[in-house]
Amino acid sequence: MLWILPALVLIGSLILYPVGYAIWLSFLDKHSFFPAERWVGLGNYLKIAWDVEFWDSLWKSVVYAAATTGLQLVLGVAAALVLHATFRGRTVIRALVLFPYMIPTIVAVIVWRWLLNETYGVVDHLLLRVGLVREPIVWLGVDHMMTSLIAVSVWQFTPFVIVSVLARLQTIPLELYEAARVDGAAPWARFRHITLPQLRAVLFIVVLLRSIWMFTKFDTVWLWGEGAGAGREIRTLPIYAYMRTFTYYQAGFGAALAVIMFLLLMAATLVYFRLYWREEEAVA
Amino acid sequence: MIRRYMLVTALVMATAGAAGAADKKVVRLWQTETEPQTLAILNQTAAAYEKTHPDVSIKVEGLAWGDLERKLTAALAAGAPPDAAHGQPITCVSFAAKGLLRPVDDLADSIPRDDLVDAFRNLCRWDGKTYGVGHSPASSVFVYRKDLLAKKGLKVPRTWDDLVQVADALREVKDGQVVRYGLTMTGQPLFINIGVGELLKTNGGRLFDAEGRPTLTEKPVIELLDFYKKLNRVLPPGWTGHAYLDTFANLANGKAAMLYQAYGRGVGYIEKYAPKEIADPEHFAVADKVIGPSGKTPAAQLDCEPWMVFKDAKGANEAVDFLKFFFKDENYIPYLHSVPIHLLSIKKSTSRSPKYADNAMIGKWRSWIDMQEKYFRNDWIKPVLVTDWDDMKKPYLLEVMGSGILVDMVLDSVKGMPSAEAAAKAQKRVEELLASAGHLKK
Amino acid sequence: MRRALVRTLVYAAALGLAAQAVLPLLWMLSTSLKPPREVFATPPTFVPAAPTLENFVRLLRDTAFLTYFWNSVAVAGLTVLLTMAVGALGAYSLTRFAFPARELVAKLILCTYMFAPIMIVIPVYILARRLGIVNTHTALVLSYASFCLPFSLWLLRAFFLSIPIELEEAAHVDGAGRGRAVLYIVLPLALPGLIATSIFTFTLAWNDYIFTRILIASDELKTLPVGVQDLFAAAVVDWGLVMAAGMLITIPALAFFMAVQRYLVAGWGTGGLKG
Repeated sequence: MLWILPALVLIGSLILYPVGYAIWLSFLDKHSFFPAERWVGLGNYLKIAWDVEFWDSLWKSVVYAAATTGLQLVLGVAAALVLHATFRGRTVIRALVLFPYMIPTIVAVIVWRWLLNETYGVVDHLLLRVGLVREPIVWLGVDHMMTSLIAVSVWQFTPFVIVSVLARLQTIPLELYEAARVDGAAPWARFRHITLPQLRAVLFIVVLLRSIWMFTKFDTVWLWGEGAGAGREIRTLPIYAYMRTFTYYQAGFGAALAVIMFLLLMAATLVYFRLYWREEEAVA
Repeated sequence: MIRRYMLVTALVMATAGAAGAADKKVVRLWQTETEPQTLAILNQTAAAYEKTHPDVSIKVEGLAWGDLERKLTAALAAGAPPDAAHGQPITCVSFAAKGLLRPVDDLADSIPRDDLVDAFRNLCRWDGKTYGVGHSPASSVFVYRKDLLAKKGLKVPRTWDDLVQVADALREVKDGQVVRYGLTMTGQPLFINIGVGELLKTNGGRLFDAEGRPTLTEKPVIELLDFYKKLNRVLPPGWTGHAYLDTFANLANGKAAMLYQAYGRGVGYIEKYAPKEIADPEHFAVADKVIGPSGKTPAAQLDCEPWMVFKDAKGANEAVDFLKFFFKDENYIPYLHSVPIHLLSIKKSTSRSPKYADNAMIGKWRSWIDMQEKYFRNDWIKPVLVTDWDDMKKPYLLEVMGSGILVDMVLDSVKGMPSAEAAAKAQKRVEELLASAGHLKK
Repeated sequence: MRRALVRTLVYAAALGLAAQAVLPLLWMLSTSLKPPREVFATPPTFVPAAPTLENFVRLLRDTAFLTYFWNSVAVAGLTVLLTMAVGALGAYSLTRFAFPARELVAKLILCTYMFAPIMIVIPVYILARRLGIVNTHTALVLSYASFCLPFSLWLLRAFFLSIPIELEEAAHVDGAGRGRAVLYIVLPLALPGLIATSIFTFTLAWNDYIFTRILIASDELKTLPVGVQDLFAAAVVDWGLVMAAGMLITIPALAFFMAVQRYLVAGWGTGGLKG
């Protein structure tokens, strides 16, 4: 018991204390700059219930988290299968593929915002030259802001899925495949009946972590939209909570949004666990 | 094992603890001029000051705008603001109103009254006292490619309608591709707020009435939103996603022929990235801001962060003393020269002094400075979201700006919502915002 | 015939994967080697017409890049050490000792990820101020470590679970105490897991922007992401300089990654994510 104490103390003081502070703040009407505060009970929560911006941002968060997690999952598994094959230069390519996860978000955003700029960026230039499009696609305008954000987020975070799945793939006993091949199973059937069941547990955790992290994602989303009015097209819940605290200066309201976000995630996770266990039992 | 953990912790603590300064009084200043050469000059000034004040250590930190506000929020929440910091004029007033600041009349008075440009006297006043002294003013300017207008026989636009027509005429298409847009504008929220305030003023409009109620449903605002709809047709299709710096890139690399909201520092962009043979004010010329259908005079918004000194700061007096030193010409002129066309002088005497004029960039781009100083002299310039100096007494402009409601209003209208509807929606949101903060009765 | 087709497809896919990952890197490299006037050339040049190392020279000579670099290395390194020490202890105790609510503790730990990190930066600042560690690397190391711990505990716990307890018992029989048994038998076996966890930790500490921005005031204590943002936020973006900085941040990380990826791939999954 003693051995876990340092970990609990650190987590407790640097995460639980701040979370507790935020919960307390959510019952107050407090300006971010000034010390004066007023107890309003559930006042902030009631306001949120009637707040159009809140519902809008909640919807955007769901779209963002679902789309990015889904794409990361599909692309990540596919990429891992490719990288699991034997070919020359595998070590180098594996390292290169993981690179987007390693570079600081700020650098990734600066470079991608430049590449995707429709007046001087390279992506549109290439698309035009190849003849795939007739007019430059306005990636950073109101219409495609969410699309481009999702694309960049998937680019940045898919390596996490690749690594997790790739590692698990390497531990699947080869005999299973040999047996299947003897039985004459086609590649798709082998994937469906051998690989996928083996990956189940990994994918369970990966989906859980990635969707939590994408739902609370701040830096990529904020930096992507910060310099642009069109940024409101990607005003997800974490951004909205941040804005209430740091630009509307309503610290209490902002904290209440964060607490709601927390409760929503808890609820979703519980449902997710339930569903998984039910299926697990069905399988067993 | 536990001992090992303690060892690591002790190691961590020791590494970090060693950095603390010994017995000197540390004075921290947070400011928003982040150019490396500006920071270098400020550090030199600090070093020079420390020489004559061996008991004081001056720490100047440069921060981008959004970061400064975040840091101030966190620092104030923890009850540990720096000794002095930049702020928007509206931030400064709102801090002064809450009693967070130390009056700086002594700092203001160290500059002779008739030497201070009139427009800056009102920058941050509360209850008859001065709470902020601007470090250096700048005005947004309208820039156009003189050569391109001349080639097409176009006149410099004077009104909103002119601007749209000229921009339309300047657009160049090659092989079905737009190779040059007539006009570029930024969609960055801060600058849309600035643009709304400034365009509204050129249209004889206002954002608030004398009672402090928002006036977004008034005719000048509706006309403004109609104007944005027209602009939207001549601007690059992705303009709402263009940051302020993207518009300079567009101008400098010839992707756009006019820039509505340029600033003096854009000269640096032109010098660096535009083709050498056209990187001069003969090609990148400045003109007055265009006037709206209901307006009479041009107007621009002021970029001039006042130095604020925090009341409870331990080094408040030392900070004021250091700032007096900073405003002395021998320190102030090198500071202004570090971003020559953008950092202008708050002192008339300095801007006339030969030592100030002795700078290659200032010699070359003088027309850009003259244009800005004309706006200061004529009182055509107000802080962000202020259309009348009396607006400075409204302690909630900061929240209105931060909420992004005006940005949403412009975007709604650009996306096709009828102007009156977009204005009414924004009006309602501002009213709710003010009411919830107790500034306005429902 | 079919075999050849599959091989071609695999190579094409692998190359495609590598290409999408490194395209931005190559653009960064190309721009960092261009003189200013070539930066916005139309049409864009992919291979610099007049390559120059000037941007790198200016970066190292005129800016505090190297200071930021060493700060980042120090902060990320110490975070990894602290997280590994504390995380390994905690994870080990979650697998080997029976104490009340052990499973619950493990689950609750995961819940800490459900609170948006951005919202706790102010309370962390207040706390750091009470402890008198505002504007120190200690504050950064402690906050990063506490962010990484939940994930690290889960990952390491799974690793320790996969190490047969009999091995330790054998050591006990030989007269080694628990400490020595852990140090000489358990930890080496869990090495891939430790490496995988430390990469996750390192990445988080190396990339964080917001905590450094809020907690650190002095220029000489800033880390790389904040330093780069400051370069970028300067009034006139010096693209060559920013891209040179981007390259110099990326290359060491990439080299490090190539060196350890064998362990990483083995580690991150074997025990780790089996659940």
